[in-house]
Amino acid sequence: MPSNASPTPDTAANSAANTSAPVRRIARRPFWLRVLGTVNGAIGGAIVFVLILSAALAGWIAPYPPAKMAVGGRFGLPQAAHPLGTDEFGRDLFSRIVFGSRLTLTIGAIAVGISLIAGLAVGLTAAYRRGWVETVLMRSSDVLFSFTETLIALACVAVLGPSLQNAMIAVGIAGIPFYARTCHSAALVEVSKPYFEASVAAGAGHARLVFVHLLPNVFPTMVVVATLGVSSAILAAAGLSFLGLGAQPPDPEWGLMLSGAAHYLNRAPWLMVVPGLSIAVTVLGFNLLGDAIRSAMDPRRQG
Amino acid sequence: MGLLTIFATTVAVTLLIHLVPGDPVQIMYAQSQGTTPEQLEAIRHSLGLDQPIVFQYLHFLGRLLHGDLGYTIRGHQAVLDVVLQRLPNTIALAVTALAIAVAIGLPMGFAAAYWQGSLLDAGLMILSIGGIAIPSFWLGLMLMLFFAVDLGWLPVSGTGPLNILLPAFTLGLSNAAIVARMTRSSMIDVMSQDFVRTAEAKGLPRSTILVHHVLRAGLVPVVTMLGLQFAFMMGGAVVVENIFAWNGVGRMAVDAIFQRDYPLIQGFILSFTVVVVFVSILLDTVYALIDPRIRRS
Repeated sequence: MPSNASPTPDTAANSAANTSAPVRRIARRPFWLRVLGTVNGAIGGAIVFVLILSAALAGWIAPYPPAKMAVGGRFGLPQAAHPLGTDEFGRDLFSRIVFGSRLTLTIGAIAVGISLIAGLAVGLTAAYRRGWVETVLMRSSDVLFSFTETLIALACVAVLGPSLQNAMIAVGIAGIPFYARTCHSAALVEVSKPYFEASVAAGAGHARLVFVHLLPNVFPTMVVVATLGVSSAILAAAGLSFLGLGAQPPDPEWGLMLSGAAHYLNRAPWLMVVPGLSIAVTVLGFNLLGDAIRSAMDPRRQG
Repeated sequence: MGLLTIFATTVAVTLLIHLVPGDPVQIMYAQSQGTTPEQLEAIRHSLGLDQPIVFQYLHFLGRLLHGDLGYTIRGHQAVLDVVLQRLPNTIALAVTALAIAVAIGLPMGFAAAYWQGSLLDAGLMILSIGGIAIPSFWLGLMLMLFFAVDLGWLPVSGTGPLNILLPAFTLGLSNAAIVARMTRSSMIDVMSQDFVRTAEAKGLPRSTILVHHVLRAGLVPVVTMLGLQFAFMMGGAVVVENIFAWNGVGRMAVDAIFQRDYPLIQGFILSFTVVVVFVSILLDTVYALIDPRIRRS
């Protein structure tokens, strides 16, 4: 499963721990330059930029509405009017791919948003409260984690019923245990640092300790996890849509388009190439960008 | 940990049906025509859904200990029979895929670590980054198109000894990339350890060092990850079984979700978890065998 691409909680926590080391202060270039200045960061950033552009300007870029049938013949080969050909209903494939980027980015953002917010809440609470609260929260996360994300997502869809919205929620929920574990181990590192103890001794309140000290310090780790998480969320949601458990026709969702094209494997094999490639390139983009951000935050990896 | 997981699964599976928005009995039978309210009430009673939830759970546990998982909504077959009939297919698929992933990923990762920084290393790692990004369902369709449709070497779909190759390669190739990356970083870690330098200083032959020192120590983290990998294979099997019409529990689960067949979904979740937990316990034993530090403690 795609979640393998994410860092383990421990290494992610370590890299966050090191960002506060003095090495960061002598780094000359601004952070975003260090990210985009690497090969990975440049390629990943470019892919993500093109995606956002395509999603924002879909109405201008796409020559046809995504669900409009018979704008060309059925199973049309790529030609000037239809750069990627037409599908089984005579819809323009290029337009559908462009509009699909909107769905893909929305899925990634919402699913990761759910995992991130819930994961932060669980992880921070566990690390801050300690004691039995920590035991219960982290044990449950461990148990949920061992269920694997696929099983949790399937169970959620089974409960909520198949739809695009429910698929996003399912993928988001499935990611919570991993985000919670990562956030917890990153927060534990902060809690044990002298500045935190000093704050406690100075009489800082709960809200100040959690939101002013813990949250900003675990945030860099979580940004890496979330960026890499976008790619696994997109993969998982596309898989659900491919199975018919996510987006429903006529949504131009890439996974759904693939399962439509699979029925015409013999007749129009080219219909499968672009939706699959779009998913792969998107996932690659977020993975490369996440890797670049992680390297830029980890002083040991800097040349 | 394993027992805790199975216990949590039984609770989750009992609660599952109550989390469904609306009336689960009505939803389950929405696709069958001519069900009267009296019949629905009788079904609710036979499923025990009219009882207090704690009682339902205990009842469920009691039946579980007798190997009774209830009956499917469609066709009224024993859930345990349906699951047991398909589970071996899924396990066979997952094990074959894991073997393929290890057979490809391990040598790749080892070679990349040995010639670290070389062109080969860079090439293999680019390949593995790409491999992680490729969706398994797309890879599966492409392999099907090439080997089954165009070349006609392998059957397109179905369940049989030759049919396992395409789905197993689909799953295996997707995960070989991950195995390769893990192996590479683990081996690189080991190669920079003091005991390897000592072995070199002793003048041991290069092959001896690689096999007895580096490979053996480097394999430990890889083997621990295999349990998780197996769980991912089981999860990935859900998608791949549906592409290739492989008659396993994953395909059964997706059909059950479409048909709102909750007893069957419960059976799927339970069997999936039991298999995953069992395999991770098995691998812990293997882990102890190759790592004497654990065996002695």
